[in-house]
Amino acid sequence: MAAIAYEPRRPNIASANVQLPAVRDYEQVDNEITSTLRPTKAWFLMLIISIGCLGLGVGAFLYQLHQGLGVAGYNPPVMWGVYIITFVFWVGIGHAGTLISAILYLFRAGFRTTIYRCAEAMTVFAVMTAGLFPIIHLGRPWKFFWLIPYPNWRLLWPQFKSPLVWDVFAISTYLTISTTFLFVGLIPDIAVLRDRETNPLRKKILAFLSFGWRNTEREWRHFARAYLFLAAVSTPLVLSVHSVVSFDFAMALTPGWHTTIFPPYFVAGAIFSGVGMVFTIIIPIRKYFRLQHFVTLNHLDAAAKLALTTSLIVGCAYLIEFFIAWYGGVKAEQDFFWNRVFGQWWWAAWIMLTCNMILPLSLFSQKLRRNPTWLWILSIFINIGMWFERFVIVVPSLSHEFEPWMWTTYAPTWVDYSILIGSFGWFFMWFLLFVRQFPVIAISETKEIVPPRVRHAHAHTPEDAEDFEPQTGRAH
Amino acid sequence: MRGVLGHFKELDSAVEAITELKAARLGALTVFTPTPRHELEAVVAAPPSPVRLYLLIGGLAGCVFGYWIAIWASNYWPLVVGGKAFGSWIPYTIFGFEVFVLIGALSTVAGLFIHSRIPRLTMMVGYDPRFSHGHYGIWVECAPERAASAEAVLRKHGAVEVRGER
Repeated sequence: MAAIAYEPRRPNIASANVQLPAVRDYEQVDNEITSTLRPTKAWFLMLIISIGCLGLGVGAFLYQLHQGLGVAGYNPPVMWGVYIITFVFWVGIGHAGTLISAILYLFRAGFRTTIYRCAEAMTVFAVMTAGLFPIIHLGRPWKFFWLIPYPNWRLLWPQFKSPLVWDVFAISTYLTISTTFLFVGLIPDIAVLRDRETNPLRKKILAFLSFGWRNTEREWRHFARAYLFLAAVSTPLVLSVHSVVSFDFAMALTPGWHTTIFPPYFVAGAIFSGVGMVFTIIIPIRKYFRLQHFVTLNHLDAAAKLALTTSLIVGCAYLIEFFIAWYGGVKAEQDFFWNRVFGQWWWAAWIMLTCNMILPLSLFSQKLRRNPTWLWILSIFINIGMWFERFVIVVPSLSHEFEPWMWTTYAPTWVDYSILIGSFGWFFMWFLLFVRQFPVIAISETKEIVPPRVRHAHAHTPEDAEDFEPQTGRAH
Repeated sequence: MRGVLGHFKELDSAVEAITELKAARLGALTVFTPTPRHELEAVVAAPPSPVRLYLLIGGLAGCVFGYWIAIWASNYWPLVVGGKAFGSWIPYTIFGFEVFVLIGALSTVAGLFIHSRIPRLTMMVGYDPRFSHGHYGIWVECAPERAASAEAVLRKHGAVEVRGER
């Protein structure tokens, strides 16, 4: 029998060294992954809760619009508070998606295959959430478009040397590219949904969204290259965005902020918090929809190692900050860091250190890395810890600047807390709507790691065996 | 456009059929697969995708625009601060980079669409919904007098269904 003409070459798509032994064929992939699209009572309940939280936030924002920014807990010189903290928090959450979908794709990390769709969707909705906060923080939020360079009638342009304008470019680029990346990856899966759909109206909508994708080899060839290059340009983008966000702080002559460690420190923290949120979302999804054989313990184990690595980097950055303060010999800086950990803000700093440095050390235990319950609990601590990290960066610095007469305190008001809760409602509302409409696990990429059906069990020649994985029919 | 469409459940059957159809030169082939397979890529032996050029051209154009808009606007409204340059290229690298990524990535997607010939408003002949689930398909675009030969090759290699379309 003729052997398959196989030419060993570098694969266009991420190799999957994390196998799915309980997934037998393509039909099972289609049936089980699309089962997440059926609405359930729990889904409706969570959607109602999310919309309720969003309503609370919108109500508080409308109240703030009417009364002015004074209803938020600003206390000069602490003019950055919960809004900027939450902005940085959500931008950070938005980093894991593109990291998992782009950087791990380039590194051929197989464990990304069944979790990247969730992470990508999370990224888009997290950046959408983050983008609201600089606008909420404005005194006149309806003038936000003044930051965008456009030829207006007096030819006024934004100040291009301002980190806030850098932010506008970085965040809007990141949102556009993340959305594009998510949507391009979805096109073949939408085609699967289109071909399964029986409702004529939904079928038409899906046909429109799939752009008439037909699964031809020609389409796949261009798709694979385009996806690779999108991943290639998204990778430095991930690193640049949070670096630019860190410049908002590092460019200011404020104790605790004016340091060159901020870009890598922020990027590592962003990835750490994003992986934490991935666990928060993916673990209930895999349990609720019974997808444990798609998102296996091996996948969680590998993602937990990523969380551990970034936690160690973040922990190292915390310690280096203290070292720099001591070694730099600047009294104001030293006093500030002492105040941060043992003074006025000790409680926030210790929440941060406990959640981000100490608890993640448990991931050195393989048993805990493979325990979904523990990973989920830990992810909640990571989310809390990373919000407090931004609190510790923003508030103590502004409340303890160089001059003692400037030292003050800060207490968020109910408006701050309501808008914070509203941001979670906004994020989860979009995510739940996404889960209901699109597959949360990439169908086409999952099929790549499922052995294809073959007529002849030994369809390849022994000479090819070194370059060919019988399990998957793929190149090494 | 007329031809013959063959369905295969097995990958190796489809690969063998493509090999023979190419050798027999019965007509232009379009191969359908639910997921990209290197076996099919190898046997189809199509030229490399040119979408990388879109990234290069779009990215360079975006980079130039990012630097230009920042430098031009700074010179148009010069803010004299401590003798510093109006057009400060170091911070403007952020604009050059971000717009490089933005335009480069969007150009790549445009390249994907152009070369994949999507959006396609009609599915045309030679497609079957089973191709997105698990079947492999071969559409042989050929004249009616060659259809019988194409059908014979498809059936010989285990096509579970063969039908003529126009």
